[in-house]
Order: sequence, then structure tokens, then C-alpha cells
Amino acid sequence: MSQPIPGARFVDPQVLARIGNLDLIARAVVDGFINGLHRAPFFGASIDFAEHRGYVAGDDIRRVDWRLYARTDRYYVKQYEADTNTNFTILFDISRSMSFTSGGVTKLEYGAFLGACLAYMAQRQRDRIGIVTFDSDIVSHVPASAKHFNQVLHTMDRAKAERPGHLSEPLHKMAEHFKRRGILLLISDFYDDPTAVLEAIKPLKFLGNDLIVFHVLDPQEINFDYQEASTFEDLENGEQVPVVPDSFRQQYRQLVQEHINALRSRFSEQRIDYALLNTAEPLDRALFTYLSSRERLIRVR
Amino acid sequence: MSFLAPLFFVGLATLAIPVLVHLVQRERKRVVEFPSLMFVQRIPYKSVRRRRIRHWFLLALRAAAIAAIIAAFARPFLPRGAGAIAAAGGSREIVILLDRSASMGFGDHFERARAAAIDVVRSMSASDKATLVTFGRNAEERLRSSSDRGRLEAAIGSVTPSASATRYGPALKLAESVLGRSTLPRHEIVLISDFQKSGWSGAEDVRLGEQVRLTPVSVATERAINLSVPQVTFARATFSGQERVTVTAGVANRSGEAASDVPVSLEIEGHEIEGKRASVAPNASTSVTFAPFTLAEPTMRGAVKVGTDKLTADNQFTFVVTPETPLAVLVVDNGDQADASFYLKKALGIGASPAFQVETVPAARVSPAMLEKRSVVILNDTMLPPGLAGSALNDFVERGGGLLIATGDKTAWPASEGSLLPGALGAPVDRLSGRGGTLGYLDYSHPAFEVFKAPRSGDFSAARVLRYRTIEVTPTDRVLARFDDGAVAAAERRLGNGRVVLFGTTLDDSWTDLALKPVYLPLIHQLVKYLAQYEAAAAWRTVDSVVDVSAWLKGRADRVVLTPSGERRTLSASEPGLLELTELGVYEIRSAANTAARPDRIAVNLDPAESDLTTLDPTELVAAVTGRAAVASGAADAAVEVPAEEAERQQSLWWYLLIAGLLLLAAELAISNRLSRTERFL
Repeated sequence: MSQPIPGARFVDPQVLARIGNLDLIARAVVDGFINGLHRAPFFGASIDFAEHRGYVAGDDIRRVDWRLYARTDRYYVKQYEADTNTNFTILFDISRSMSFTSGGVTKLEYGAFLGACLAYMAQRQRDRIGIVTFDSDIVSHVPASAKHFNQVLHTMDRAKAERPGHLSEPLHKMAEHFKRRGILLLISDFYDDPTAVLEAIKPLKFLGNDLIVFHVLDPQEINFDYQEASTFEDLENGEQVPVVPDSFRQQYRQLVQEHINALRSRFSEQRIDYALLNTAEPLDRALFTYLSSRERLIRVR
Repeated sequence: MSFLAPLFFVGLATLAIPVLVHLVQRERKRVVEFPSLMFVQRIPYKSVRRRRIRHWFLLALRAAAIAAIIAAFARPFLPRGAGAIAAAGGSREIVILLDRSASMGFGDHFERARAAAIDVVRSMSASDKATLVTFGRNAEERLRSSSDRGRLEAAIGSVTPSASATRYGPALKLAESVLGRSTLPRHEIVLISDFQKSGWSGAEDVRLGEQVRLTPVSVATERAINLSVPQVTFARATFSGQERVTVTAGVANRSGEAASDVPVSLEIEGHEIEGKRASVAPNASTSVTFAPFTLAEPTMRGAVKVGTDKLTADNQFTFVVTPETPLAVLVVDNGDQADASFYLKKALGIGASPAFQVETVPAARVSPAMLEKRSVVILNDTMLPPGLAGSALNDFVERGGGLLIATGDKTAWPASEGSLLPGALGAPVDRLSGRGGTLGYLDYSHPAFEVFKAPRSGDFSAARVLRYRTIEVTPTDRVLARFDDGAVAAAERRLGNGRVVLFGTTLDDSWTDLALKPVYLPLIHQLVKYLAQYEAAAAWRTVDSVVDVSAWLKGRADRVVLTPSGERRTLSASEPGLLELTELGVYEIRSAANTAARPDRIAVNLDPAESDLTTLDPTELVAAVTGRAAVASGAADAAVEVPAEEAERQQSLWWYLLIAGLLLLAAELAISNRLSRTERFL
């Protein structure tokens, strides 16, 4: 399925899965990926001056504006629009449906690889990294910090898809939590009504966060290439339905495609970056595809 | 079609299994986990497909197989007709016990009982035989062991309720004896009654054999309301030389509902003289006292009536009241001493019930006219009255008079009148040694001595006998008492309708000190009452009791009895004159010789226990009599069926059903395998 791209060293997800260390995986993928790019997309880097404020005890005297002191005989401290690099937080859906695989890596593993790669990239440009894993509620939360790279990787490594998930409740909670703007990376399989998904995500967007959405799906979820009539069991709620795939396939594919298209258009309307990732595709190819499109979008913006 | 174990039909719920097999089984073979069925469930085609049953025939086969197997476990059998049953289990000897006691007159009880009896007769096969026994206090065999249904039905139709009380014991014993004589293989008793609790005490000692089947058929009514007059009492007073009687009647309410403002009336000689109203609480009784009335004539007939209900027999209580009349006693002594009969006269001068009218005459002055209107003659140490009086005395006894002969020195009896004397009188015997002789033996079974039977009821051994006359009794005479040396002290002879008692010693203090002992007075009273054939005038008697009419009319003429229903019955003077009182109301008894005279009367009422309609659980009675639980109750038809287990065992339908079920399963297996090969998805 993967197509080689000149100048890039694409790594098959199944090979990556054998490494078993997200740090190594991230390095392997990102280093190769960056080497293949002509221009790295730095996002969130800004040290523009914002305003002055009065000096208070404890402020670093190196940040006192001496020139202003000379003019006004008062101490003022310079404030910048961003004191440091931006917050990069991964919102990782670990609901039970993410444990699905039709043979290769699970969506959960694939999402973890993806999150690790992007975290590695962010760490390299000194962004602060955090992670929130959730299903129907928030499962674990690592606050964004420049020193939390390893903890983020550890959280993703430890994540297990065990419970049914639901987007709206945990995302609402997150919206209350993220008071500071940053980059939010949402990794999920979005088994929900597109309108409901958007309603859940909107509060995050309204806070001024830069939201990037990765829609991770297994090839069987897209193609529905089952052969025998079977009882299909919903991983989320355990419901069982007898299914004759031959008669279902065409309509299923159509419904899934409509779902993807709906998500894509709704996210686009809200200026949210959306990328559909197939777990059968190499990880760096997915990164390349996404970052290329993002670069194009940034230019447009 | 009936079933021995119908509870197995709960297993019919397993009929859902083939449906589930059709709908679920093949699709459940492989379960595929899928992240979300969000899109799968939106496809309408699959819903229709999975819910549609495509092979109805296969489903029907599976359902039929399971139903057949379940039906086999339920042990089916066919209840056949009476003829077939009889052929299968043998002919039956049926005893129909039909209760005709007075309580069966309540409402339509008796009609229902007759209908139940006729149902039993109609269920008989040609080889069955039935015996009709009706019962109240006693049981009566109306038609013995007949297979003629017409005769049986006619016999049942002719039965009417009686006034008798209910007793189950005699009826069951009679039924047992009837069945004991039968040669038919199956014995059955059908007991049709209102199952009054008072009819069964539990001590009847009735035990039916193992092979006898007893089926109770109850016609009782729940919560029956019944008012009754169980008894009346009389308070007598004398006013202006006439006796006045105040009647107090008890009124019982044997039901759970209060009876208020019930009319209670007193009738004398058919005329209502007073009416009152009374209220009686549930299961309680009260008393109503009427104003006194004058007893103008002997044997006045009266009745107390209370309310109306479905059992009318006990709503009326009849009685007969008579002015008290003293017993006339003629004491005949030798006349040589002024107080020769001092002790006798003193003893007979005491007592009111009855009072004694005593006249003392010397033997020489006794005339036949003196014997008229006397109940008892006492010959107190004297000779037989000479002349016509002697022979008149013989006639007097034969007509029903009583004669007491106290022997002493002066007692002399001619051999010609020996028939009057119980035994032959011998010479005097002295018992002067020690403290003298005593009365060593008394026949306490004799009515005259019965009252002394209980302990501390009279000490005869305290009396000393210093001399007595020997008595040599004949085998026809009855020895009433003996002295401690074995000699006869008293003997009795019955002559005609009368009685003669010969006492071996004196009734004064010359030969014995018996007259000085406390037992003397009751002894004299008992002997005189016995000889006078005195019976306290009962104001009423309960139905089914027997009276000796000869006590009423002393004479040689036949007696004519007029029953309450108007039937006239003649009792020959040569017969004992026993009359069984079977009807409620007043019996009138006259002498055939003098029909114009005022008759004697006997009032007959219901047994008070018969008014209590409290029912006995028929199954208890069956269990007590047979030692096992009742097989069926209420339905006479059920009584003649072969036991279900036996019918099921004989027919063995379950075996065929089981084979059919297995064959159906095999067919289903073959067809479903063929279908599964031809179709990829079922």
C-alpha cells in the first residue's frame, strides 16, 4: 500500500511495532523524515514584544527595560507575546474501539507512534509537551512541560484501550482545563456523529488553540473486506449483529466515506486541520502527507 | 385426553429453541470484533434478513418433535366411558348411603342429594350393582344389590327426609356388611350427606377394608342460618287449687349473623296464647318467658314457635304438660298393731316427685274395690287378703299393678295363690350369732337398685338382719338380693303386666334394723316406683326414642296410637307395647276399649344436635374410615372412574409419543443437513 517518496525513508508500522520503544520509533521516523524535507515547518515560535508592566519584587532584573527607566525613572519589565515556546498537547483517544486491528498494528499503537513522532518533533523545537488520554472520561493527564517528553512517551506506551469511549464529555473537561493557548493534537477514530464530534471539539477551538485532528482507521474499517457471514460484535458496547458482508460491503463503504467526508468538511469549516490516517500506511508517509498539507495551509493563511 | 403429570407442559417453553436455532445459531458460529457497528446498523437489509424464517417446514418439524416429547413426559391417557372402565377394572358393587336425617330438610339439600344419588346410578355399567341405604340415626337398606337402574332410581325417588338425627357409624357399618357379601371385584361406597359435624364423634369404630373406596358427596350449604328451640322449662305453682305453669323457652341462633326481632309464640291446645319478640346474637342463645297458664286438664299439648328459616323442623318445640298426680299405695298389714306400718308410712309420706298417697288397711278388710285406682299394694307381714280380695289382687297385678310382699312371722300364703308369689316361702332362719346377717348381694342391674350402683350411693351392709324367711325361687323368677349367707333376700316375678317383689324379711324393725338406716327411704321409694311402673311424666322426648306404652294404659285392651301424621296404629295388649317415636309432633295413645276417654300424649321433638348445621370436612371422615385421603369429593362421576395412574399405565400413550418425537427429530436432522449443504447462509 505504501508508495516510496523520493528523499524519504518510509518505515512500515509493523516494523516499527517490533521496536517497542516510542522514543526510538520517534527518532527513527522523524529524523528520516526531516532529512527528507527542504524546509521544516516550525510552528508556535514567537518572541514578539507585547507590553510593559511594572517591576515587582522577584522579577529577573535582566528583563528590566533600562532605557525606559532612564526616561521615566521607573522600573518596567518587558512582556513578550510568548515567553517561551508553545504548549504541544496530545489528546489521545484510548477508547476500546482503538484496540482494533485487522492484522497489523492496532489503531492505538499507530496513534501512539504518531503522537510520539510529533512530540519528538515538538521537543526538538523546544515546545512544551503534554498529553491527555481519554475514553468516556479523562484517563491520564501529563501537563505540558519541556521536561515531560519521556513522561508523555511513557503515558502513551502504557495506554490500554479498555473502556467504551465518548468524545464530548472528556473534551468539554479539557476545554475548561486548557486556559493557555497552544497546539492540540487530537488522535481518534471518531465513531460518532460528525455534528456531535464538532460540537465536542468547538470549545477547544474557541480558546484559540491550534487544533490538529488525526482520524486513525484500520483498512478493514474503510474497505470492509470480510468474506464469511458472521456475528459482528461492537467493541464499544458489546452489541452483536449478524452480518452477511457480501451484501453489506458496498453500502458500508459508502457510509464510511460519507462519514469521512462529513468530518473533513466540518473540520475545514472550523479551520481545523484534519488528516485521515490508515494504519497500513507507513508513519512517515502519514506525517509527510499531513505536514505538507499543513505547510500549504499555513501559506494560504 | 388427560395427563398424569401436566406440569411437564411448562417445558413447552422450549419450543422457542427451534426458533432461536433458526434465527441465531448459524450466525453465532463466528464472532468478529469490530470497532463500531455504527454503520452496520444503519443498513436496513440485514434486519429483515435475520428476522425472517425461511424454512417454516423445518421449524414446524422441530416444534412438533419437542411438543411430542414433552407430551410423552406428561403421561397422557384417555378417560373412557363407564362401560370401558368397568371392563378394564371389573364390575363394581356400589353402596349409595343417602342421608335422610332431619337436617337434610334444609333448603334444597335433599333434592340435591337425590340428584347426586341418581347420577351415581346412571354412571353404572351393565355389570355393576348398587345398594341403596338410607340413614339417619339408624341405617336402612332400601334396595339390595341391584343392577336395575329403573328400580334404583325409583327407590331413590321414594326416599323422603325423616326427623331423625345424623349418625354415620351405623350406615358405614351396614355398607361394609353389604360389600362383605358381594362377589364383585370392586367395592365402592358413595356417601351423600350434608356432613353434619354432630353425626361423627370419631369413636364409631368403623374401618373399611383396603379395597373399599369411599367417595363423599357433600350437599352442605356454607354459612347456613338456623334458628331453633332446643328446650323449654316449666315452673309450676298452685293458685286457687289449680296448678299454673310458666313456660320458659330457649331460642338458639346457630349462625354467624344476628337474628333480631324474631317472633316467638306459645300455643296451648292449638291456640296461640302469647306472642313475643326476641333478638339472638350470632352463635348464641336466649330465653323467652311467657305468662303462666292454668293446667285445666291432664296432658295438655303446647308448642313454642320461633321465626322461619330453611330448616323448619326445629322452629317448633312441642310439649305435653300434666298436673302432678300422686302414686296411690295401699299398705295392707295384719291390723293387730296400731303402728305396724309405721316405717312404711313415714317413708312414703316423704317425697314430692312423685308424691305417694298412702292408705293402710288390715288384710281382713281389704276389698276388691280398694284395689282400683291403686298403683301398688304392699302386704306388710300379713296374709293374703281373704276372699275375693285375694283373687282380685291377682287380677290387679296382671293388669299392671305392683305388689310388694314383706315377709315376717305373720306372713302366710295359701298354696292356691302360689302363682302370685315369686318362689316358695320357707321357715324363718335366725341370724343371731355375731352381729347378725347382712345383705351381701344386690342386683344393681335391676331398675329398682340401679340408683345404688355408684359408690357411696347407699350402704346396705350397715343393716343387720336377725331373722329372715327362706325363699326358694323358680327359674323364671329373678333374684334381686341375697343375704351374706347366700339365701335369697328378694325376688321378683312378672305376672301379666304387673310385677311382684317378695322381700325375705320385714320392712319394720322387728327382724332387721334396715328401717333405721338411711338407705331405707330410697329403697322403699325405688321399689314402689318400680312396682308402680312409674315413669316421670316427660314433657317431651327426642325423636327415635322408644317408650313402653303399657305404662300408660293398664288394662287388657289393645292400645291405639295416633301418630302426628295421622296414622293409626294398634298395639296388641299381649305385646310389650313398645313404641318407636319417629315423627315430630304429638302422639296420642288410647285404649281400644274406651276411645272416648282423654288420650295420653307424647310430644316428640328433634334431637337438638340436629339443629347444629356445622359441617365436617368430608375428607377427614374418609381418612378416618379408610385410613387414606379421599380420592375425590363433590363429583359423583369421579367416584366411578378408574384411577388415573391405572388408566395411563394400561394405555401407555407416552411410548408412542416419544417414538414420534424421535422420528421427527431424525427427519429434521436429515432435512436441515441437506438444506445447509445447498445454502451458504441460512
